[in-house]
Amino acid sequence: VAKLCVCDLLVAQCDVNCCCDPDCTADDFSLFTTCSVPIVTGDSRLCSQKAAVYSLDVEANPPERIFKLIDQTNPSLFCIHATNYEEALSFRSPEMPTSENFDRLLKEFGGPAFSAEPDNWNTNLDAENPSDANETYGYEYGVPIQTVDAFLRLPSPVVSSWCSDANPAAFLVNQATKCTRSVRVEKCDNIRALSMLFYTNCSILAVPRSSQVVNISIQSITVQSLNGTRTLLNGSNVLRLPMLLDELCINVVLGVSYHVTHTDAGEIIEAAAAFVLGAIKKEALSIQQSFEISFTQVNTEPVPLSGNPGYVVGLPVRAGFRPQGYPLPVDIDTSGIIQNTNKHSQFTILQSTASQDCLAAQGARTPILFGYNMISGCKLRIPAAMKCQPLTQTLLDLLKGQSFPEYVASFGNSQSQDVLDWVPITHLHISEQRVSLLFQSSCQIPVSLELEVKWTKYGSLVNPQARIVNVTATLTSTAWKRVSSGRERMIPVMSSVVFTDVSAPAEPGYKAWPTINIKLPHDFFFPFV
Amino acid sequence: SSCQLSSVPLQILLCAHGIYYAFYFAATLAIIVYKSQAFSYPDGFLVADVVLLLLMAALEVLRLQLGSRGNLTEEEAPLGLSLAATAGSGALSVYFLGWQTYVLRADVILNALLLVAYGLESVLKVMAIAALV
Repeated sequence: VAKLCVCDLLVAQCDVNCCCDPDCTADDFSLFTTCSVPIVTGDSRLCSQKAAVYSLDVEANPPERIFKLIDQTNPSLFCIHATNYEEALSFRSPEMPTSENFDRLLKEFGGPAFSAEPDNWNTNLDAENPSDANETYGYEYGVPIQTVDAFLRLPSPVVSSWCSDANPAAFLVNQATKCTRSVRVEKCDNIRALSMLFYTNCSILAVPRSSQVVNISIQSITVQSLNGTRTLLNGSNVLRLPMLLDELCINVVLGVSYHVTHTDAGEIIEAAAAFVLGAIKKEALSIQQSFEISFTQVNTEPVPLSGNPGYVVGLPVRAGFRPQGYPLPVDIDTSGIIQNTNKHSQFTILQSTASQDCLAAQGARTPILFGYNMISGCKLRIPAAMKCQPLTQTLLDLLKGQSFPEYVASFGNSQSQDVLDWVPITHLHISEQRVSLLFQSSCQIPVSLELEVKWTKYGSLVNPQARIVNVTATLTSTAWKRVSSGRERMIPVMSSVVFTDVSAPAEPGYKAWPTINIKLPHDFFFPFV
Repeated sequence: SSCQLSSVPLQILLCAHGIYYAFYFAATLAIIVYKSQAFSYPDGFLVADVVLLLLMAALEVLRLQLGSRGNLTEEEAPLGLSLAATAGSGALSVYFLGWQTYVLRADVILNALLLVAYGLESVLKVMAIAALV
């Protein structure tokens, strides 16, 4: 205990205010004001332990450090008097390999991955039952998709880029992986991982631990030629197995894309796989395969979500329009929100370019990602005799883009048919007036667009979800003096987006007090009543 | 009172010991449960400690019955068996005092008192057997 010093961070130098630092001399101690580490003890649950106490005696001149080694006793009745178990209060040191235990250690820890229970996930499906007993209805997010014998495999690279077939596909987790598989052309029809059968012959359980199975159907087959061109086969989707043809091995699986359709209760109702088959040369020693899986809820369009339900930081903010002609609140149920199918183009701001020239960028815009404050700008070169109205229009197009949305989704998963889930964008207009130009008929040109997105934390204390409550677009205009001749001028144009957290402080909610319902039977007071 | 060979102090001590042992058993079991929650207590060690505690309880019941019967009926055989059982219980108590997985201060106090009681009882039993023989 006397040798332990937590504040001794600098090697061979004295740390400031660290009374236990062995590199400090008495002169250094006299300059300290306090001791940052006043006491160093062992585990405080022991009945008696040694403690090193460091303190500064400020009355002495110069101040000096006092070091005492005392025995601290724990007055509690439940202090540990003795232990007969070596790893009781500290971590176990790992085994040192010797010639006797080397083989065993190599077998246990030598692979690319090891866990505390090595064969757990393959054979102990029953062992997980007690905890999931109330979740037999439907898959949940992240749960591996079960098949009749094991799990639906999505081969992916583990540690190195070689394919590992032990990666299960998780429900509702859209994944895309690329990995390398080693092949030898002489046996190419024997390698299971290169044939379509390997990826379609497993039957997925519709609901975990049930007997209802869903077969994987072949959605489409695309054939890739040796130089890379791909053609979609229009014929019937039959199984094409790899076979040797001259010096090539054809019908080799180069990519699989699974599409799983599920209900909102977590039950899988359909699974389809789209294949990319190719041909490999005899000399090929390895091929690269790519795998993908995506999930769609039945009867919905696969609109990419930006969070479920709250927005996830880094995903684009979803926004859209109300179709024209439905301005009255009476029609609020019948219309929906129209969004751009490209999730990165729904709500965008001006993108700064290296040349800083507004018009050279040709309308390059960057999506607004939730939680990321952005500022961008450019310089607009205005020719001498530019009229006010076209200039204003150009600037408005630059700042707002071609399709500035009217509504922003309040949750990451707001559906387009729930119009009340969408927040309208409030527009503000600020014009900078300068007194000296008042006598001129001022042309106001917009120079800056500031978007302020106010969001709040919604839901439970433990797992708050981000919800957008207000979006304000402030357009700042400045006066523009038009001159009929002269050289061209440059004005800076700026746009920014700021995310402000306006969460109210959290109020914990408690369950209602249990009420005691006591009712006497109606003949309780028999025979008096 | 020379006709009465039963030892009154032994009987009082046996009775009091019975009550103390009930308290000891409940307390030790509760402390083991507390230890299993507060510290890292592997299953093997936990099972061993609980089994030994139950064994001690069984032995204790047997010992008190035999000792009481032997004392009241003035027979040496049950008293002798009870003395042997005391040795066994004493050994188990020493285990709980020093060789348990975790020995807390409360364990030390409880077992020390138990050992003192065993010591006294053994002395009184030896004296009672000597009086009977």
